[in-house]
Amino acid sequence: MSAFPSPTVRHGLFEGYETGSFYDEMFIAPGQPRPQYLKLFQKLGAMAPAQFEERRRLADLSFLIQGITFTVYSDGQNTERLFPFDLIPRILPHSEWERIDRGLAQRVVALNLFLQDVYGKQCIFKEGRLSKSLVYSCPHFRREVIGVEVPRGIYTHICGIDLVRDSKTGEFCVLEDNVRTPSGISYVLENRLVMTRTLPDAFQASEVLPVHHYPAELSRILRSLSPRGEDDAQVVLLTPGIYNSAYFEHSFLAQQMGIELVEGRDLIVDGGVVYMKTIHGLNRVDVIYRRVDDDFLDSLAFRSDSILGVPGLMGAYRAGNVALANAVGNGVADDKAIYAYVPEFIRYYLGEDPILRSVETYICAKPGDLAYVLEHLPELVVKAVGESGGYGMLIGPSSDSKKIEQFRERIQANPRNYIAQPVVALSRVPSYDVSSKTVGGRHVDLRPYCLYDGKKVTIVPGGLTRVALQRGSLVVNSSQGGGSKDTWVLRGEE
Amino acid sequence: MLSRIAESLFWLGRYIERAEDTARILDVNYHMLLEESQRSYRLRWEPLIIMAGEENRFRHLYGEANAENVFEFLAFRQDNPSSIVQCIAKARENARTIRDRISREMWEDINGLYHKISSFRSQDEIAAGPHRFCDEIKFGTHRFHGVTDATMPHDEGWQFLRIGWSLERAEMTARLVDVQYQNLLEELPPGNGASDHHQWMAVLRSVGALEAYHRQYHSSIEPEKVAEMLILHPLHPRSIRFSTSEVRTGLRALSGTGPDSYANEAERLAGRIVQRLSYDKVGEIFKQGLHSYLGEMLRICGAIGDDIARTYFYYAVVA
Repeated sequence: MSAFPSPTVRHGLFEGYETGSFYDEMFIAPGQPRPQYLKLFQKLGAMAPAQFEERRRLADLSFLIQGITFTVYSDGQNTERLFPFDLIPRILPHSEWERIDRGLAQRVVALNLFLQDVYGKQCIFKEGRLSKSLVYSCPHFRREVIGVEVPRGIYTHICGIDLVRDSKTGEFCVLEDNVRTPSGISYVLENRLVMTRTLPDAFQASEVLPVHHYPAELSRILRSLSPRGEDDAQVVLLTPGIYNSAYFEHSFLAQQMGIELVEGRDLIVDGGVVYMKTIHGLNRVDVIYRRVDDDFLDSLAFRSDSILGVPGLMGAYRAGNVALANAVGNGVADDKAIYAYVPEFIRYYLGEDPILRSVETYICAKPGDLAYVLEHLPELVVKAVGESGGYGMLIGPSSDSKKIEQFRERIQANPRNYIAQPVVALSRVPSYDVSSKTVGGRHVDLRPYCLYDGKKVTIVPGGLTRVALQRGSLVVNSSQGGGSKDTWVLRGEE
Repeated sequence: MLSRIAESLFWLGRYIERAEDTARILDVNYHMLLEESQRSYRLRWEPLIIMAGEENRFRHLYGEANAENVFEFLAFRQDNPSSIVQCIAKARENARTIRDRISREMWEDINGLYHKISSFRSQDEIAAGPHRFCDEIKFGTHRFHGVTDATMPHDEGWQFLRIGWSLERAEMTARLVDVQYQNLLEELPPGNGASDHHQWMAVLRSVGALEAYHRQYHSSIEPEKVAEMLILHPLHPRSIRFSTSEVRTGLRALSGTGPDSYANEAERLAGRIVQRLSYDKVGEIFKQGLHSYLGEMLRICGAIGDDIARTYFYYAVVA
């Protein structure tokens, strides 16, 4: 089959679409789809714009009725919002995904070995490959868990690694690692469900790899951590509660895995063992998939004002009576300054060359880098090392001089807290603009979800494609007006 | 099952039932009054506020009761904790905290009902009269019962839902009979012809028991028989006897207790109340005084609720 559509195919939705100066995931040039998009292009092209609009409305309604919302904190109020879903999928051919899959697996294993090392023998410092002070000064480094033996040596059970495609090279690179409590997988699964209901024919024609095995695989890994053996394992998911922005995901995963969704107040520690309060008394808990940050887990060990956690939990964890996923102290591995050393970890721990490229990173804690960063602020992206969710960021090219000067002062006051990177020109995918009812190119990233059982890494094909729905915007975070797309990894190349 | 989840299910059941019962009473009262003289209006609306236990709040907000302000207060007011809109919002909030434990269909159903009700504008509804709104609530809550029955395993969680809505229903029926009876007696001595008949018909209709009454008694509508039907009927799903019997069955299923014993105070009280309702005769109830009899029923229902909380939700943990 020709990679180009016959001239008789009506473009419909994509009439007048411009690929611009960025890498366009769907089109090589206007009217010329990439091979992996050919079938979708034909199906959507045959659809009248009004028909597409109707399908889009149905999809939105479906999210509303299902209550697939997230909570936004602003002006001291919690508002429930729909996470905008864009119907035009992001499609990857099999060969490209296969390389990403290998690259991510390599990275997850290296991050896990790094965590084993810094909380264990600390060989990497002794051999002079990484400075101890850089690690110990990470805001999320936890001295409290040095020497704690974690079940089966696993720290990074669940990782969400953010990838972007650089328009300059057309190549995927890693933007950041999320190895604490990454969220978003529920949207991957729900987006797929809504997608198959809304555009079933386009979906079927493209032959897409399934994603629905994620909860079963996660459940298997969690059970395997139980200190009392898998058969009697009581696994729970610990949520901060209904007002947390990811509450929908917590309840969704608990339901899909058939495990209890608990809050801190449902749990109690007695004699170094964790129990949950049921209608028939106390039941022992073996494994906690916690979606509560380290700081709030145990008011006796960490922040004493926390009411979200369970007093005494760390004692039970150290005694080996309960397993936590992810492990405590993982934040050191996704610190944005440590990020710059991950390629080095891959070489050091695995003796391999990294498959996926990282973005060039200037560490302000290094005097040479600091000088460069301060000189080039208007061209760079500056990030606070311990933040996530798009907070604490400066995007130089789109900031005024006042904001740039603010960051200059902050960086000078605390260089360890900042890193800087060149602006990556993110690739774009055609996306539907609800107000103008036209399709335009919007920037995207990709967050695949990796599960690690200590032997192998399992990644559901694709992941969450986040899209900056505002024209020209580079910020894809849901808290900052981003939306999402279904991500299709094809069985073949087209 | 977690105590917190059991409690949420219990309250989910209660709020759904309270919304439905309030809608029923509002709707029927409104239609009954369409056929009446304007003179007795106030007297006909005040009992609804008394039934809801919200006299002070109402008087503070509105003063005198009329069709519009009672409808607004009982259906829409955000500051009335038992308004229909608030009940649906709280039912949905409870469902949201336990959505992993109920079926997807149940959650989508109550969530859909909430969004639909939230889209109603109170001014439009007040202008249109309560029928459309109340029908929406009645069918919405009936559908929720149906979806629940068809999609949720009848496990412990289901028992808490069932206990919640049955206990609420028993209390609502007791209040309805009590308030209406007193009110009708005050205004008109019993047996005073057509108007009286008409109002008791409305009471029966509000609990969906009018047709069943006709089949059972084949006679004109008499207050004693209406009371007998609503308090003592063994099979009508809204009678106090049937509802409390549901509570007892649910409690026994939770503890696994056999027929002639009890495992906790809630079960003992539920067992006793069902026994009384099974063997009391309506004549005896009137001899004791209907008001004092129903008052006692309400007190026992309250005590059952308290003891369920002590047994299953907030028991002391020694650690």
